[in-house]
Amino acid sequence: MGKVERLLFWVAIGVLVISIIGMKIQISQLEAKVSQPAQVSPEGGEE
Amino acid sequence: MNPKLERLVYIGIIVVLAGYLLHLGKVKVELEKQIPITIDELYEMLGNSKLTVQIIDVRPYEAEDEDEEDEEELNYYTEAHIPGAIPFPDCDETKTPEDALPNINPYLPTIIVSKDGDPEIFQKCAEKFPFARNLKGGILAWDEEGYPEDEGEYEPPSAGGGGGCL
Repeated sequence: MGKVERLLFWVAIGVLVISIIGMKIQISQLEAKVSQPAQVSPEGGEE
Repeated sequence: MNPKLERLVYIGIIVVLAGYLLHLGKVKVELEKQIPITIDELYEMLGNSKLTVQIIDVRPYEAEDEDEEDEEELNYYTEAHIPGAIPFPDCDETKTPEDALPNINPYLPTIIVSKDGDPEIFQKCAEKFPFARNLKGGILAWDEEGYPEDEGEYEPPSAGGGGGCL
């Protein structure tokens, strides 16, 4: 297998790994939002 | 290492990572469904012509009796709706105006607009729209904030028209 081909495979793997990390961060932020209890306004109603 | 085997190993790694990424994408969509979008977020989204978002209004289309129309109540699509919103009463094709049906695309990111952000009607619609989010507070919150509204019958977009609607 040529060096160029090997490099391209590593680039693809790198892009996927970075995408996975980005997606994981977004998911953890969304999970925090979902588990966050609804804020209650001073008037007593839900915001 | 045998070049063929090495290539297979690389392809295997890529397939596994891509599969995991797809799985995470599904998880993200499911989580987004659980978080309603706020009217401010929607307003910003509509102002950004790079984002394609479909607004589905699930309120009844029009009052059967004109006396029923009351602009304060915002019970019907024809009284007031978010610009560009497509009527899809109760997410039921049989109640939808014929010229609106061809413009409904289940695979676009979709915002479901009800009168007050009712989670029940949203759940029903979420089965038809895999990328749907509920508008928090519905059209009442949108109206209260004074954001732009259209009124009257649904007008399908003209062919070739594009860009943001606000």
